[in-house]
Amino acid sequence: MKFGNLLIAGITTGSIYAMFAVCVSVWYRVSNILNLAVGDFAMVGALGVDNLYRVKGLPLPVAVVTTLVVVAVFAYVYDQVVLRIAQDGRRPIEGIVVTFFFTFALSFFIDGAAKVLFGTDVHAAPTLWSGPALTLGSLNFERAGLLVLACAIIIGGAFWLYIRFTLGGKALEASGENSTGARIVGIDTRQYRRLIFVGTAVIAAVFGIVESPITGFTYLSGATISLTGFLAAAYGGFRKPGRALVAGLFIGVLEAMLGGYVSTQYGDTVLYAILAAAILAWPRALGFESAVSG
Amino acid sequence: MNQFLAASSRAFQWSSAVASSRAARRAPRGGIPTVIVLVAGAIIVLNYGLLYTGSVFVLSACYAIVTAGMAVQIGFSQQIAFSQSVFFGVGAYGVAMLNTHYNISVLPAGVIMVVAAGLVALLLGSVVTRASGLALAVATLMLPLIAVGYVSGTGFLGGPVGAPLNGTLWPGSGSTTLIALGGGLIVVVLLAAVVFIASRILSSDIGLELFVLGVDERTAASLGVRTPRRKLELFVLGCVCAALGGVAYAGTQQFVPETVIDPTTELALLIMLFIGGRRSVIGAVIGALVIQYLQGASNWVSVNILIVEGLLLTVVLLVDPEGLSGIVATGIAWLRGKSALAVAGAELAAAGTPAGTADAGREAPDELAGLPLSSVGPAGALADGTLGISAVGISAVGDGRQAEGTAGARDTALLEVRGVFKEYGGLSVLHDVSLALPGRGLFALCGPNGAGKTTLLNVIGVSVAPSSGEIVFAGADITRRAPHERFYLGISRTFQAVHLIKGRTVLDNVAVACLASHTASIVTRIGRSRLDAARAKAARTLADLDMAHLADREVSSLTLEMQRMVELARALAPGPRLLLLDEPASGLSEEQRQRLATLLATLAERTCVLLVEHDLALVAQVSERIFVLSGGHLVFDGGPADFRASPVVNSLLVGS
Amino acid sequence: MTGDETAAPTAPAPAAAALTVRNLSVTYGNVVAVHGATFTVTEGDACAITGPNGNGKSSILMGVTGMVRRHGEVTIFGTPARNGDVRWAARHGLTLVPERRQLYPDLTTADNILLGCYTWTRSIGKARRSDSYTRAVDLFPELKPHLKQAAGTLSGGQQQMVAIARGLAAAPKILAVDEPCLGLAEAIAKRVYDVLAQIHADGTTLIVVEEAPRRALALCNRRVEVRNGMAGAA
Repeated sequence: MKFGNLLIAGITTGSIYAMFAVCVSVWYRVSNILNLAVGDFAMVGALGVDNLYRVKGLPLPVAVVTTLVVVAVFAYVYDQVVLRIAQDGRRPIEGIVVTFFFTFALSFFIDGAAKVLFGTDVHAAPTLWSGPALTLGSLNFERAGLLVLACAIIIGGAFWLYIRFTLGGKALEASGENSTGARIVGIDTRQYRRLIFVGTAVIAAVFGIVESPITGFTYLSGATISLTGFLAAAYGGFRKPGRALVAGLFIGVLEAMLGGYVSTQYGDTVLYAILAAAILAWPRALGFESAVSG
Repeated sequence: MNQFLAASSRAFQWSSAVASSRAARRAPRGGIPTVIVLVAGAIIVLNYGLLYTGSVFVLSACYAIVTAGMAVQIGFSQQIAFSQSVFFGVGAYGVAMLNTHYNISVLPAGVIMVVAAGLVALLLGSVVTRASGLALAVATLMLPLIAVGYVSGTGFLGGPVGAPLNGTLWPGSGSTTLIALGGGLIVVVLLAAVVFIASRILSSDIGLELFVLGVDERTAASLGVRTPRRKLELFVLGCVCAALGGVAYAGTQQFVPETVIDPTTELALLIMLFIGGRRSVIGAVIGALVIQYLQGASNWVSVNILIVEGLLLTVVLLVDPEGLSGIVATGIAWLRGKSALAVAGAELAAAGTPAGTADAGREAPDELAGLPLSSVGPAGALADGTLGISAVGISAVGDGRQAEGTAGARDTALLEVRGVFKEYGGLSVLHDVSLALPGRGLFALCGPNGAGKTTLLNVIGVSVAPSSGEIVFAGADITRRAPHERFYLGISRTFQAVHLIKGRTVLDNVAVACLASHTASIVTRIGRSRLDAARAKAARTLADLDMAHLADREVSSLTLEMQRMVELARALAPGPRLLLLDEPASGLSEEQRQRLATLLATLAERTCVLLVEHDLALVAQVSERIFVLSGGHLVFDGGPADFRASPVVNSLLVGS
Repeated sequence: MTGDETAAPTAPAPAAAALTVRNLSVTYGNVVAVHGATFTVTEGDACAITGPNGNGKSSILMGVTGMVRRHGEVTIFGTPARNGDVRWAARHGLTLVPERRQLYPDLTTADNILLGCYTWTRSIGKARRSDSYTRAVDLFPELKPHLKQAAGTLSGGQQQMVAIARGLAAAPKILAVDEPCLGLAEAIAKRVYDVLAQIHADGTTLIVVEEAPRRALALCNRRVEVRNGMAGAA
């Protein structure tokens, strides 16, 4: 059952990519900024919990809550200080390219701070659900992987319910689809920019915490996570969270299959080559043409 | 003093094209930044070459070679391609392999690798540059990811360890001092050469093309820029600079670590570019220096380099999106303003202030608003009176291509639209529209909002392919021709929403349409520039339209009606055979409309003008034939007398 | 240069001023779109703002409703309006039905209309049960079969009706409608104006921006003519 196990592994990593891709595209819809710092929040989540629990000796729940609160406060302050000046000031900065570099700088800053706070070694948050892998026939389910999947389903489901059944959620959708139209009914798009930025930072931190036992994180791991989420979001045209989700899952499965059947060493190389070829072959179908802008 | 300031301001400003400054004629294009780099670089290498500072400088100069190319490709022309680290690696690894495995010394190996990188970039570029904008960025983002996976798994290249070199950049042997200083000087010369080439390209007529390409690819194409070719040239230029930087790196460091090909190198290069100033060549060089010095500094800064870079980038971008060079340029412009005031009074300041001081424009709205329209901006006289068009001068406007089209053009049709249908997602916008226009005369296209007028103009003028039917222009089927080809054939248009190039002067906006560089290659512009010729032609057009006093104004500082006039001037300047005007009278006063009518009548004696217009009185007054569209159908086609009498027109447009 | 406002001709008894605009200017960057517009709309009026394209008609509405920042005074039912605050204007009774509809294409028709209630509530239950929402939906029987359909898939005329319904869901006392017949066929345009007449008859003050004055004038009792960003009564 090699295929089955590869599929499980692929779906697990794919669900992580998918969540980050959804975070990137939901925020891009309301802010027009591509966030390259999501992965860094994940890294801070994992290493923060590890530091508070293992080094500082706090109880695990306290460590988790403290880390999430710190991430949320930091994201809020960043939005209030930097993004407010950049987007709402007298000279709003336009253009995807320049605003993209703000999150780029943020990513560098977080990585640097993490290096000072947590050091350069590989660490991981403690496993929240330890024990041997569960088996079903010849299929193996790692507990950490199941936890990741559960988080993805719970958070994704909660988000879906919010969009589907509350006026606030519909207003969020509206401001993503048509910000002028949203302002007409009094929706404060800046408020959603802030809410989603803080929200995605916390969600990213949660995923960092549950995922880190599988791979282990260093202070530089954020960039890799962001990059994959970013790529998956790109295949959803950055504006379609649903497609970003599918693309994330697909990339995860494809990665696992290539690693399992083609080559462990060059699996990633082949994966990226396929992804690049797909963009060049069908840019319009993948939603790139509409997102073009200076 | 002032001239030095003027010159250095230009060196920092991305647009050295700014004002028609007197100093421009004295200093050769690209000369000042090149001399600065060469002299400063040589002094630093000779004085500190053997010290730690010197080695950091040489390393940063290697990166600066790359970022100078990025300033042209990514900053100025906004073609975001993440290919630099890969080609940096190609140069560096290539030299190392040729040197250690084939015993070729570093300098010739470098030449081989730069040429090879150019060829590879040409091949790769012809595939990837078909994508635009984000697609290009994301597709090329894969390159570093692919490369790093390949290199780390390939033992021949040294795998994760890296590859050493036997030789150095300095040819021949000698003392360690000679090798270190000589190698350093070679890098400085290479950097100066790249800065020279990049500056000259940006200040040439092709530089203007690239700027437009960066602002909006479609507008560029409609003004005759051959966008696919320019994008490929830019990609190759960026890759060759990156490979050259890699060669310099390998030759001076004598070791190629796997990290050079890592995506983090790409990120570091981008940070250098954006901190220095994305559109400025000298800014990109400064950015590389600043970042490398911060990294090389042996103190708290280098330990916490990520925090420092993050904070620095955030602060610099918040202060000015054009980076350090933008800040310096603003400072110099401010200084110049001060000293000029002190020396020669306000006159000099007004004449010499470059368009790039957009800050002055940015401050303006709050002061303006609430003031009567007639006192907008410093040159207050413009607002109402500036449409003083001298119809006299117009006959001089269309020379060139114009001539062949005029002879006996009355009888044969210049433009034929044959049975055109256009559908957008199941919605029929044009339904079986056919019309024919002769080589001269004034024709109008009317119809209610949403009737398909602008779509029809797009089908004729820009490359919006009709769903079926054909467009014949001067006997040739142009239905599927690219927009730039239609421009060469002599089709010129204005837009309903003004599409001017922000950040450039009125003169440059008009000059864009007068460029003769479309068939030339970027490389030829290192030698000469025809920008002055294009500007001269543009200046003539502006003078004919009585707009010469606006030439040095930055376009976004103008009122909407003046922007419309600039767009009209831009459409007229190349001397088109067919002029498509989309609502030229909207926003104009009655008096201005009358002047416009006179101008259009004069134009129509030489050219075919097709006008989309809502002002029915104006339409009936000036046009000899009127077409009315409704719901995508052509419902009326006749002269002004029939137009006034037609019940269809009355029910549709007048509403009585 | 400023347009003058004369008293509304058809109002002998002084009715309450619903909207007063004095010396309104709107600039985009350095482009002056509206300059010194002054006019008053009395409660119960149906006021047409007419004039050629690109002369600042829409910008007047954008400035008055707070969609863009403005200079000059705007009072809604006697209270000075906050600059750039759409929500404030909506809560004080002025709602905009914008040019080109500005719907949310991937949301359902029902959700598009429902979001009009966002101006006064955050509760989806209150919004669904509100009079303004039910009235807005009931006014357009032709939308009934499409309520669960994505708004982007509707025809142009249906989308215009959704936009008007969304405006009504905000429970406005003044409804400002910008170019309601843009790109619509004649028969559908007539239907749109019939609905506007009905809304007016139900007691809502109307402001209609219209390029072609014919249709608007049949409905409206007052007209503000805009030329070159300057407005005056005509």
